[in-house]
Amino acid sequence: MGSSEAETQAQSCPAAGRGDPSLADATLIDPKILAQPNDFYRALRAGDPVHYDPKLNMWLVCRYDDIVTVLRDPITFSDKHGYEAQYASGYFEEFKQILEREGGGFFPDAIKDDPPAHTRVRRLMERAFTAHRVKTLEPGITRIIVDLVEKLADKAANDRIVDGVSEFAIPLTISVICEQLGISQFNAEKIRGWSGAVTAQIGRMQSREQMRANAAQICELQNFIIAQIRERESQPREDMISDLVHARTEDGSKLTFAEVVSLVRALIIAGNDTTATAIGNLLFVLATQPEVAGALREAVEDDRLLNRFVEELLRAEPPVRGLAKMAVREVELGGTRLPKGAHILVMYASGNDDDTRFACPRKFDLNRGNLGTHVAFGVGVHRCIGAALARMEIKVAAREIARRLGGIQLAIPPEEITYLPTVATRSIASLPLTLLRRSSCLTAQTS
Amino acid sequence: MKITFVQVNGVEKTIEDARPGETLMILGRTHGVEGILGDCGGGCSCATCHVYVDPEWQTAVGPPDEIESATLDTVSNVLRANSRLGCQIVLRPELDGLRVTVAPSG
Ligand code: HEM
Ligand code: FES
Repeated sequence: MGSSEAETQAQSCPAAGRGDPSLADATLIDPKILAQPNDFYRALRAGDPVHYDPKLNMWLVCRYDDIVTVLRDPITFSDKHGYEAQYASGYFEEFKQILEREGGGFFPDAIKDDPPAHTRVRRLMERAFTAHRVKTLEPGITRIIVDLVEKLADKAANDRIVDGVSEFAIPLTISVICEQLGISQFNAEKIRGWSGAVTAQIGRMQSREQMRANAAQICELQNFIIAQIRERESQPREDMISDLVHARTEDGSKLTFAEVVSLVRALIIAGNDTTATAIGNLLFVLATQPEVAGALREAVEDDRLLNRFVEELLRAEPPVRGLAKMAVREVELGGTRLPKGAHILVMYASGNDDDTRFACPRKFDLNRGNLGTHVAFGVGVHRCIGAALARMEIKVAAREIARRLGGIQLAIPPEEITYLPTVATRSIASLPLTLLRRSSCLTAQTS
Repeated sequence: MKITFVQVNGVEKTIEDARPGETLMILGRTHGVEGILGDCGGGCSCATCHVYVDPEWQTAVGPPDEIESATLDTVSNVLRANSRLGCQIVLRPELDGLRVTVAPSG
């Protein structure tokens, strides 16, 4: 279906506007573009929607419809091959050797596979975070978040500057996922380092020195995971690592040890930086866009609006920017012929900004009728497994921030905010803020 | 059990050997019903299994719960009073003969 649709499109709008020569050298890996990418996305959507990026040696897929075409055809556009070609790009062999030598082994990501192998693992993982199960986690998540909001307010007393990312967003997501996995003793700073080291492998912006430092961190992470698994092999507990260790897939088989290591690693990593990025974005927009702060104040006691607030935040400021796929055969996409083996970067963030799908995309609008069709979590068989959990974390964070904090302001000019050097996500590196505790004025208001 | 889907392309597909206990989404997906995608695997979080229940079946099928309503609300442009998510409808003998129309994708 995908390619014939693309062909019809190519016929109905011939070369006009395609392959705009002024865009020939345009590359995503320009720090200015990585920080503020929306103009770049718009130019590519209009002038070269499936753009060959010479520096990345990848094809950037920028239009909403083309993104959905790619994601709905996981056989033609392989996640496995796209991911492998991205992973530790440029240094893969050395990276792998380090992990084999010091990290207990090289464990390919079992979830980053193609159907049917993917389906076997995926069915097992899907059960973990259904919307109904996540709802039962709300009280526990609320406890973690209230505690962190209160601590943040304490630290911010007397106009002291706090960091919304390292002192709030990151410890928040780490606490939540560790509780789910059953990791009771953890060092949040360490896990933060491990997460960054893994996500850097798909970021395309690490030097060889950085790769070696990251590989060392990943070894530490894997050794930690292996110890956690070993403890549960003999003594199962009521937690997700135990579930994975002892799980049976639909075909009745057990997961291999290597699969379990890779899946625990995926759960620790996939949900950390992404959700923390979303919560960092939340604080950033509350500090810089008064109309969004106003929208949250109106939504906070209305569950339906609050859900919509979270969804629109994910649409307008998607944490994941671009992930890789690979064309396993020559194929036409959005008017461009991709060669067999073309390495593709699916630009989720551009899809969410596409005005053919979302009218006036830069407007923060809680009333969009098609809000649920944004692609921040992807689409199709690889759609994010943790979506319901991530939404819950963001929702409770938004609610407790709105109830307990006020006067959130950036402590530096917005232009000075820096982003992590990666094509995979758009993540604020550090977010210096000043803020006030609201509880005193709240009691004054309600009494 | 017999279940009929009116697919997004308008063509009807009737499945004669549906089994109680499975969900309408799994049934549709297994039989390649156009428009039943089930991206989240039945987790009630993606709305890609959205159907309109034929009015005469609405009472038997019942209304969505709060969590399902929240997910349906994300595709409010194609929402109707008889909207349900297929993954939240577990087939039971009383639903033998059920007829639903697959909703367009928001
Ligand atoms: C706001 C937070 C999050 C965002 C924006 C996000 C986004 C994404 C995206 C875009 C994909 C890839 C879809 C594709 O391949 O096309 C994905 C996959 C995945 N996510 Fe998330 N994610 C978030 C939170 C989480 C959480 C909390 C978890 C786990 C607890 C998680 C676990 C996963 C896993 C395991 C996959 C791989 C699924 C597969 O390939 O079948 N994510 N996510
Ligand atoms: S399959 Fe995702 S909501 Fe039904």
